[in-house]
Amino acid sequence: MPSPANITAALLSLDTVYVLTGLVLFVFAWLNFRDSENSNRAGSALFWLALGVIFMLGSVMPHWLTGLLVLLMVGLDGAGRVGHRPRSGETTKTGQAAQRETTLGNRIFLPVLLIPLLALAFALAFRLAGGDTSRGALVGLGFGGIAALWAGTALTGGSTAEALREGRRLNDSMGSVIILPQLLGSLGVIFAASRVGDLIAEGIKGVIPEESLFLLVAANCLGMTLFTLVMGNSFAAFPVITTGVLIPLIVRPFGVDPAMAAIVTLTAGSTGTLMTPMAANFNIVPAALLNMRDQYGVIKFQVPFALTMWVLHVLVLWLMIRLL
Amino acid sequence: MPEILKLAGVVIVVVGLALRLRTTLVVLTAGLVTGLIAGLPLFTSAGVFEGVPVLTSPGKEGIVNILGRAFADNRLMTLFIVTLPAIGLAERYGLQEQSARFIRRVSAATVGRLLITYQLFRVLMGILGIRLLGHPAFVRPLVFPMALGAAEAEAGTTTASALPEREVERIKAGSAASENYGNFYGQNLSPVQAGVLLVYATLNAPGIGYAVSLWSIVLYAVPVAALSVAVAAAQFLLLDRLLRRSLRGAR
Repeated sequence: MPSPANITAALLSLDTVYVLTGLVLFVFAWLNFRDSENSNRAGSALFWLALGVIFMLGSVMPHWLTGLLVLLMVGLDGAGRVGHRPRSGETTKTGQAAQRETTLGNRIFLPVLLIPLLALAFALAFRLAGGDTSRGALVGLGFGGIAALWAGTALTGGSTAEALREGRRLNDSMGSVIILPQLLGSLGVIFAASRVGDLIAEGIKGVIPEESLFLLVAANCLGMTLFTLVMGNSFAAFPVITTGVLIPLIVRPFGVDPAMAAIVTLTAGSTGTLMTPMAANFNIVPAALLNMRDQYGVIKFQVPFALTMWVLHVLVLWLMIRLL
Repeated sequence: MPEILKLAGVVIVVVGLALRLRTTLVVLTAGLVTGLIAGLPLFTSAGVFEGVPVLTSPGKEGIVNILGRAFADNRLMTLFIVTLPAIGLAERYGLQEQSARFIRRVSAATVGRLLITYQLFRVLMGILGIRLLGHPAFVRPLVFPMALGAAEAEAGTTTASALPEREVERIKAGSAASENYGNFYGQNLSPVQAGVLLVYATLNAPGIGYAVSLWSIVLYAVPVAALSVAVAAAQFLLLDRLLRRSLRGAR
């Protein structure tokens, strides 16, 4: 017989939140399937269903099966089978919801603020119970989503069904792009397993003496920025640079806190994102949205900022390693 | 096979994105090709694939297995889907409208001060773990028109057409940049945003095995985030000076 404490622990685990997310995705899949005005209804439904299955069973399913489901999802998206054309009147031209007249004022922020509040509260509660505060924050995010849904319906008088329809609208407006960070992170892991990072590390070792911390930090940040410039995204570059360069050349030999080194390395990549046309969503699409004459106008504005920040990244990481 | 060929995946990403092919497909193809060039099999030789020739190779983890493992580990990054019904409902009942009202109440006298304020607003949203599609939702309909209004007041005109085009381009670029600056550096101040979760998942993965907490990652993101606000403020105030000179001259 499992004890009540064990049941509570199981209910408050990350897997519960994954299952909740899976259930939400099943509803999105079902709403897509029921939408007779969506010409891609079967493909869209299957895409969100597969993601739901991965969320719900990803911790217990064999990895090859998860991998095949990812292949299926990308196949559907690649064939142009995922996506939802909004019905007329449902959305305005910026893709936002047509708004209801309300007198709620600033109270509309309350349900949304409940999400970070609960993430914080769960982290604190986990800490008091001697658990992992990181896990607490993530479990709190999940339950915060549910609590915010409940508070939102109570506040607005809307129904849960309406909230799920609105959630699906938001979800579909982002479409397959939603899985992109997760997919790019996975690409980075495949690159790392293929030892792409070793190539970069070999190059660095050929030029920089292994005891020169400052130059290694600079090379690490440069590698991250260049890789991001080329790939258009720091998320795929990060696992490659971290496992190939940061950990073997800096963290291990110098005994550096990996959390400190890793987050600064990630944001060194962000300076690359600011300077590359490959990051179209951030740099090219906005120029188009604003009808700029020069499609690279946003990038040109950002370059001086990005270069200054790059230098500061090197200095900050080096100083934190030296001083902390 | 020469090692340098492993960079084929990088080339695939560059060419694929330049040709505007479907990003998900480009990313996955790059992964498969790189893995195959590195001599990885498609599947791990275990379970149903135990000893299958061609598809597996003894002692090596398969590409599809790595993909599945990494994708499952990185579920953290997409966990926010569970909050979409609540956010969607709040949007239906005026969340965006109320946020816009909140920003409009800012009476920033100059373009630069407005952009600094918007960046701070964006950092605040990041700290709260709130994701926004900032460019279409705020920059285009709100920040840019407000910045243009401030510039018109500066130049003493009431129409945008009276402003030199070069300056309008600068204001547009600055508006988009303030969104990117605030978004990129603000989001790492929350333990439930994608970047921090990627660092967490990567360092805690079994192959690497550091026990790192989300909170320490957030803590170490603070110095760079603070610097980003300061550097951006300097750039926006410099923009103010530039505009003041050329707009007063144009009057």
